Amino acid sequence: MDVRHQPLPLQPRRTRLSLPLAGERVAAGFPSPADDYVEVGIDLNDQLIRHPTSTFFLRVSGESMLGAGIHDGDLLVVDRSLDPRPGRVVVAVLDGEFTLKRLVQHHGRLRLEAANPAYPPLELHRCGDVQIWGVAIHVIHPL
Amino acid sequence: MGLATALIDGNNFYASCEQSLDPSLIGKPVVVLSNNDGCIVARSAEARALGIAMGTPYFKARQELERQNVVVRSSNYALYADMSQRMMSLLEIHCEELEIYSIDEAFGRVRRPKDGDLQTWGRSLRARVRQDLGLPIAIGLGASKSQAKLANRLAKQVPAHAGIFDLGHCADPDAWLETIAIEDVWGIGRKLARWCRLRGVNNARLLRDMPSGELRAKCGVVGLRLQRELRGHACLPLALAPSPKQETCVSRSFSRPITTLEELRQAVATYVVRAAEKLRKQHQRAAALTVYTRTSPFIPAFYSQAASIRLDLPSNDTTVLLEAALPLVDRIFRPHRQLAKAGVLMQHLQGTELLQSHLLVPLSEAQQQRREGLMRTIDQLNRRYGRGTVQWAACGLHPSWMMRRERLGRTATTRLSDVPVVHADR
Repeated sequence: MDVRHQPLPLQPRRTRLSLPLAGERVAAGFPSPADDYVEVGIDLNDQLIRHPTSTFFLRVSGESMLGAGIHDGDLLVVDRSLDPRPGRVVVAVLDGEFTLKRLVQHHGRLRLEAANPAYPPLELHRCGDVQIWGVAIHVIHPL
Repeated sequence: MGLATALIDGNNFYASCEQSLDPSLIGKPVVVLSNNDGCIVARSAEARALGIAMGTPYFKARQELERQNVVVRSSNYALYADMSQRMMSLLEIHCEELEIYSIDEAFGRVRRPKDGDLQTWGRSLRARVRQDLGLPIAIGLGASKSQAKLANRLAKQVPAHAGIFDLGHCADPDAWLETIAIEDVWGIGRKLARWCRLRGVNNARLLRDMPSGELRAKCGVVGLRLQRELRGHACLPLALAPSPKQETCVSRSFSRPITTLEELRQAVATYVVRAAEKLRKQHQRAAALTVYTRTSPFIPAFYSQAASIRLDLPSNDTTVLLEAALPLVDRIFRPHRQLAKAGVLMQHLQGTELLQSHLLVPLSEAQQQRREGLMRTIDQLNRRYGRGTVQWAACGLHPSWMMRRERLGRTATTRLSDVPVVHADR
């Protein structure tokens, strides 16, 4: 048996964090005046994931995207179904690695920029084989 | 023009899943091994191009794979199952109806546009699955499942078809059917293929056009149905909602032969624990169970034995199932037998919503509820902190007979500790 320490699996299926229905437990007596106003609860999946089938999680390593609010060790929510447009933070495949950059239009040409002046931009037409793997839509950052 | 039937499947599915989530594998030859790292069961297009054969035992291919720098992966079913679910839900959106046929293939019903041409539909579906999941698929279309199956073959085999082929909308369907050898027709076994060849029926077109009477005399209504399907009548309906499972099986090959009773008990206990967990997840209880073991079928003194027991009361409580199953192990064990595999079959399943009023109930309702609570807690702990966090002692502590998966990749889509790393350091 595998006894490694594995955290909660993240699945595209729904996991709801629901507030209890307020009126439910009142067995007798007056009905709660709040009954009509009860809502079903807040689901973070609804907030963070638009397309469950094409959404993947990636772990960030490095600080080149600090300027975009993305820190070393953060969890990135990436949607592959979105088209990479200029201005978006994208996951590119560079030399067999996932690399996080912002796609930018510069003098009519596309390039990949870090959000940290210490890192030079990458002109797309100069690097032969770059593939945009997905578009980052959220970052989960512990405080 | 009505409805067409599609067979849609993932190309080199396991290898493609590995490549999709690991950028270092893009464009590289990759093979995936079967359980216990036995044989090659999937090859990426790049590995195929190197001439690596399907089904080759790993120990035989090992040197050659290393020489050619082929990446070797153990089967990672957690990853493939998740990617399969994602792929199926995409397909579901693009078809009127969908029958999930296996982990990597599905039959779909598609409405034909006015001009009958489904190329545009097929191309956009392929592009969608490629972009959203990074998986290549092939689409075969026809008037029936059998036609769709053949068309799918042609979609893959003929590079000019670019992964889509429509037998119901192509220039010369007969000529294409003639390119498919009789052995490759869906539903034609080896024996039947030999029978056909003796009659000069060597390809799919000839099978379609041979006299029905002969086919009927040989293989009855099954053969007739196949022929009607090839002629374009949809005889096999889509199986849409899978009926609730009647049986649940957990079985594994051992990494090495087992010869002691103690180890067989541990293995069976491990499988019972897993099967009980599955039952609870499916909201089912088993009313009977069978345990079995066997040696390798390739050694001269083949041995195989099974034993069953009926439960007084259907259960999905691990303790109850272990108490029922473990005594059976003594009955199937034989000393001096090199046991290669064991399994547990949960049978006569029923839903947990069925009332549990029974004269033989050994526990009070309160006791029963506590037991159910305990099982729930254990399942939650194991889900949260990894399988085996809470374990039954009967399973043994560090079993050395556990299945080999030495080259397991990351379970990149469902396990937080395994998600891919994206570099922000250049």
